[in-house]
Amino acid sequence: MKILTEPVRQTSESPALALAQLIVETLNLEVAAAAIDPDAPLFGEGLGLDSIDMLEIALAVSQTYGVKLRADDTDNNQIFRSLGSLSQYIQQHRV
Amino acid sequence: MNKPRAAIDWTARGEIGSMAVLRCTVWLARRLGRNFSRMLLLPVCLGFAVCWPASRAASKCFLARALGRPAGMLDVLKHFFTFGTTVLDRVYLLNDEADRFEITIHGEQIVTEILAQGGGCLLFGAHHGSFEVLRLVGRSQPNLRVSLAMYEATGRKIGAALNAINPHLAPLIIGLGTPGAMIEIRDCLEQGGFVGMLADRTLASDTTVKVDFFGAPAAFPTGPARLAALLRPPVVLMVGLFRGGNRYEIHFERLAAPASARPDPEGATPLIAQYVSRLEHYCREAPYNWFNFFDFWA
Repeated sequence: MKILTEPVRQTSESPALALAQLIVETLNLEVAAAAIDPDAPLFGEGLGLDSIDMLEIALAVSQTYGVKLRADDTDNNQIFRSLGSLSQYIQQHRV
Repeated sequence: MNKPRAAIDWTARGEIGSMAVLRCTVWLARRLGRNFSRMLLLPVCLGFAVCWPASRAASKCFLARALGRPAGMLDVLKHFFTFGTTVLDRVYLLNDEADRFEITIHGEQIVTEILAQGGGCLLFGAHHGSFEVLRLVGRSQPNLRVSLAMYEATGRKIGAALNAINPHLAPLIIGLGTPGAMIEIRDCLEQGGFVGMLADRTLASDTTVKVDFFGAPAAFPTGPARLAALLRPPVVLMVGLFRGGNRYEIHFERLAAPASARPDPEGATPLIAQYVSRLEHYCREAPYNWFNFFDFWA
């Protein structure tokens, strides 16, 4: 299932929902963006994403928000813990 | 394609076994020298062949396919002995005693070219022969920096063992199985590094695809090819075959980049199939170099 939405985020949406939509579109997930629990784990159980999916999310995040996730200077385990934690990191670092 | 795949217990059996072999051989290698240590490997291999019926059966099953004839006990012994020798030789390779080996490198210009373009390359290896002989390429290619991507539990054990032998030469290990593992690989490639991964084995959590290997479908991980599709670095197959005595033969071969930039498992299949077909070629060239001692077609 592919959800067709514009890549430009609506400012009225919550940042976490906008990010959820980006993730659903990027990975072609068969789940509605609004149905992703902001506190549920992104990696492994929960959405069942693997580290290559995480890289794909990181590339999309970098394109959309200008926030580059790097391996050396960030705690990726913490950032990728959940949709909420990733969204929070982006909001703190976006340009 | 299955996800998740049925549990595979090679971590429990194969790695503990090979770690025992590794510890044992480090001790022997240092005190007794290569020739005497190899002689001692013979009874050790006989012991393993007798005490490990599952590994013995896996060896026979593989060799029958690769040799095109039924494999006997002598074939199994030769198979284990080849494995033992490459493990033993790791000690000398890490101790910077490369001069004792006679090395032939095929396709070295591939590495030279990639380095000249700034580097950044995915090296697809296999549990076939010795990946460690890559160090010998480093002697003629001083700009070559190699990181190895492997599962953390395995990586920690191997890293600890390599560290014990020579802390200066242990390769940088990228632990798989964490959310940031692939981001770390991306960073490595961007900095011009070579990232090696053994693309023939899977763990329970990997997405796999069945590809014909010696005429029967076997599960291969899709991860390495999905990563190649997403990042699009040059992809090179590398095997280091043990050819008996003190001879090793290193082969580099370019693999075609995936056609699709989408890292979906379906789009990754042609690259995996190409890798598997070349791997089969090198398995026929050097059947006793195959070091997956479990039922590969399970």
